[in-house]
Amino acid sequence: MSIDTDHRKLCHALFDALEAGDVAGVDECYAPDMTMWINVSGETITREANLDAVDKGRALHRRRLYNDRNINTFDDGFVVQYTTHVVAHNGTEVPLSACLVAEVRDGKISKLFEYLDTTQFRSRAKTK
Amino acid sequence: MTEYEIRELCNEFFDAYQDGRVDVLRRIMSDDCIVWHNVFGRETTRDENLEAYPNSYSGQRRRTYNDRVINAFHDGFVIQYSLNGVMHTGHKGALWICIVGRVRDGKITRIDEYMDTSKFAAWMGGPRA
Repeated sequence: MSIDTDHRKLCHALFDALEAGDVAGVDECYAPDMTMWINVSGETITREANLDAVDKGRALHRRRLYNDRNINTFDDGFVVQYTTHVVAHNGTEVPLSACLVAEVRDGKISKLFEYLDTTQFRSRAKTK
Repeated sequence: MTEYEIRELCNEFFDAYQDGRVDVLRRIMSDDCIVWHNVFGRETTRDENLEAYPNSYSGQRRRTYNDRVINAFHDGFVIQYSLNGVMHTGHKGALWICIVGRVRDGKITRIDEYMDTSKFAAWMGGPRA
């Protein structure tokens, strides 16, 4: 398989695992020293902290979908533009456009950079 | 376009934005270039974008597009960068932004911009006392 195909498969594996709340599946995608930076906080968190957030995040919503995945790959990573559809416990659905840039090493994600607009998410959630 | 050419085009775009070179921007954005912002969730044309350019700068004395991390793919690029601004009050602010660009025949055909508007207040700073 080409690097392009490998990176695309890895991206889908991560998002499919996130959708399914499959923490072990998410962990499979990560290198041991994986870190994640989020534009919302400007901070970098460890793999363990990220997996903990994924685990706890499962209880926050009824369902979370990662749709409209527009993936482009480069030698050592990928960028994916997508729409997260969050279905709250009261049934309301909130879409959020986001972008994730990943660095990949030896078939695993070593760094993630996430960009989204929290104001938009909060205001949409409030009006529902 | 080669990876080098795509990187050059990306840097040319940001240098022009930084220096207020609307003529350069018009040249390197295709006639049908679309600009989409996650903040508004809608698309604007190249001409709408360039027309809004002077107003978008009115709040700052100076803007620089720094820490550019560029990765190129076969028909585009992704750039992660810090937008550093000096307000008219002297306040300095920074925004972290990611742009995905599509290219064709040496020009940018589409721009998708991602940022967090909750950082705008800190970026602008308070009014001068």
